[in-house]
Amino acid sequence: MWRTSLSAGFRCFVCKRAGIKGIWGSNAVRRCSAPALPTDRITARQAADLWKRYFEEMGVTEPDHSSSYIIAYLLGAKTMESVEKGKLTEFLSQDKTEQIWKLCTRRLSGMPVQYVIEEWDFRDLTLKMRPPVFIPRPETEELVELVLSDLNMKPRTGVGDEALLTCLEVGCGSGAISLSLLKSLPQLQVIAVDQSQDAVDLTRHNAVRLGLQDRLQVCHIDVMEDAEAVLSLCNTVSVLVSNPPYLFSEDMTLLQREIYRFEDHAALDGGKDGLKVIKQILIQAPQILSNHGRVYLEVDPRHPPVIQRWVEANVEEMHYMETRCDINNRPRFCILQKEKSNKDHKLDLD
Amino acid sequence: MAYRRVVNLLPRGKESVFSLWKPRQQKVPCFIIQEHTINHVGRTVRTFHAGTTLMVAKLLSVEELFAKRSLQDYLKKTEVEYNECLREFNKGVTDQQCSQDELRTKRAKVSLLAPLIQSVRELDAKQKELAETETLLTEEDPALRELAELERESCLQDIQDLNQKILDLLIPEEEEDLSDLVLEVKAGVGGQEAMLFTSEVLEMYHGYAHHNGWSFDILEHMTSELGGLRHASVSISGPQSYKRMKFEAGVHRVQRVPKTEKQGRMHTSTMTVAVLPQPTEISFTINPKDLRIDTMRASGAGGQHVNTTDSAVRIVHLPTGVVAECQQERSQLKNKEKAMKALRAKLYSIKHEEETSKRYNQRKVQIGTRGRSEKIRTYNFAQDRITDHRIGMTVHDIKSFLLGENLLDEMNSSLQEFSNQEILMELLGENNQGKS
Repeated sequence: MWRTSLSAGFRCFVCKRAGIKGIWGSNAVRRCSAPALPTDRITARQAADLWKRYFEEMGVTEPDHSSSYIIAYLLGAKTMESVEKGKLTEFLSQDKTEQIWKLCTRRLSGMPVQYVIEEWDFRDLTLKMRPPVFIPRPETEELVELVLSDLNMKPRTGVGDEALLTCLEVGCGSGAISLSLLKSLPQLQVIAVDQSQDAVDLTRHNAVRLGLQDRLQVCHIDVMEDAEAVLSLCNTVSVLVSNPPYLFSEDMTLLQREIYRFEDHAALDGGKDGLKVIKQILIQAPQILSNHGRVYLEVDPRHPPVIQRWVEANVEEMHYMETRCDINNRPRFCILQKEKSNKDHKLDLD
Repeated sequence: MAYRRVVNLLPRGKESVFSLWKPRQQKVPCFIIQEHTINHVGRTVRTFHAGTTLMVAKLLSVEELFAKRSLQDYLKKTEVEYNECLREFNKGVTDQQCSQDELRTKRAKVSLLAPLIQSVRELDAKQKELAETETLLTEEDPALRELAELERESCLQDIQDLNQKILDLLIPEEEEDLSDLVLEVKAGVGGQEAMLFTSEVLEMYHGYAHHNGWSFDILEHMTSELGGLRHASVSISGPQSYKRMKFEAGVHRVQRVPKTEKQGRMHTSTMTVAVLPQPTEISFTINPKDLRIDTMRASGAGGQHVNTTDSAVRIVHLPTGVVAECQQERSQLKNKEKAMKALRAKLYSIKHEEETSKRYNQRKVQIGTRGRSEKIRTYNFAQDRITDHRIGMTVHDIKSFLLGENLLDEMNSSLQEFSNQEILMELLGENNQGKS
């Protein structure tokens, strides 16, 4: 009996605003209509199948993953696999069903799953997500890996620098990079900056959530507008890490709606050649880094050779060390090192 | 040898490798086809009746084993070996010409044999004590006689314990027994029904891991539409995990009316269990150049250009074509780590399969080391029974068995006992069990 009532609701594409209380929040779907709430009780598995089919019909990307992650989250698990055995075939309460409908409806408009459930995993952390703050990408997990393996292998030079190893992150977003580094390296201090107040707030929130706020300083600074502010914060940083906006402006319009409509464009658009922010970071780097300090950047696959040529021609003290590839073999990461040139010493002597 | 199971909880309970009796509360009385006989010292001994499929004649009792000439000879031989080793070591310490390496080898040998020899000597001492006590039984004084009787009881108990201990020490510990494992389950013949059964068996092992306090971490997990399982890999770690789980490897067969069956006919389906020891980083390395890693973000520019929640990772080992795939986690990095773990176990197992099959070729029953195509167990729902074909053991109450608790534990322990006896026989140079 429930089957027919479900399919009847399914076929009905008329807006159901009047009949369902509380489903239409401020992030209401403007274009698509949700299927009606089922009249009879359904199980989580049935809800997942229903919404998967609906997402498919409405052209929502990754229909299966979307419905699975949303429903698993509402059942208190990260994935459907890890939902308590038996919970998937139990009847859902009215309340739970409404929650599922509410969140899945948000997904209809193309809102990324990470914003719908307001969280996502990055390495071994679970971070809160909030639009329009940039959602960390899997490639960036590898960027952190690079920094960690270098720092773990680095021999400590000189006395007393065991105490303070400092890192600067430009464009912290949700705090993914900074917090991962802090979690893995108890002796690390991090200064994180972002041009977006939303990002600063979210990073601070995630830091507290993970108990890492003591070694983290988050500042609302735009490196493009206010380089001085960054310089006044730090001048002997060992590591500068960044996943700066690196998309080419012309690529912005080709983005999927999940990104275009919901994520901060300022976190994505790197200007005509995608290098606007990267160049600024590299120009400032010598003043921020201690000698032999390193810059780790995530970039567009087209960037590494361009960056190398540009740095060699324009930033005397920064040496291009190497390019590393991501898991899919695309050139993705640039590592540069500050080397104080001999020329300076010669000038001093004159 | 029936590793004596103490049916009542005696105050002198002991934990040895063989008697894996855990005094937990029993939930369901299980009907094991067995016989309780009282042997000459008043202890209950359980023997298994051989079915027509049985290859091992029977489990010998501790007493029967110790009565064997071959065992006595072996112990004497070992003692001689030990004394010689000790003498050589002591000589080597003072001898200038003896190298550090030689000394080290000798010392290792001595310490390896020491516990066994110690127990053998203790046994000798106890035997003498028993003989002395027995002379007192003919005393006139009833009080003294009673005392002697108690002493005798105590002596006999000690001798039993020492016998057990010696047997434990005789079985060499395999390298892999100390490691963790990757469990692989795969649906065999029978379509959807086989896949449903595979899922049930995995749940059983989940319960078993929980029962033993082991971790159970799913690496790969491929489901079917009806909620069944095509194949899965699980990382299990904890004390004795490999040692116990290795007896689960082989083909499990189910006989029942499937859920999908409309006409109520009985079907036979199968699933395969493989148990792979988990190699350490150092002992087994994989060249990253030999790997091809596939993700959903492989096409296009990736990075900031794409937002996905599909973080599945698939790793192909190019030289061998072995594949591992994980989509258990939301983090791509975590999925990659799990897939690598599964891959390592698979490759390591392939590398060592040849080696291990050679080693176990001589054993007739080959419990725990059977090839993947051997049918080891049948689950018959109509008769509500589970039969392990290697030892001809039948247990009832499938529902409880599939919980992976006491019933499975009992069967597993029995398998261990038979396997140990096999190993012992081999050690003593005997080809036929039951002969003395």
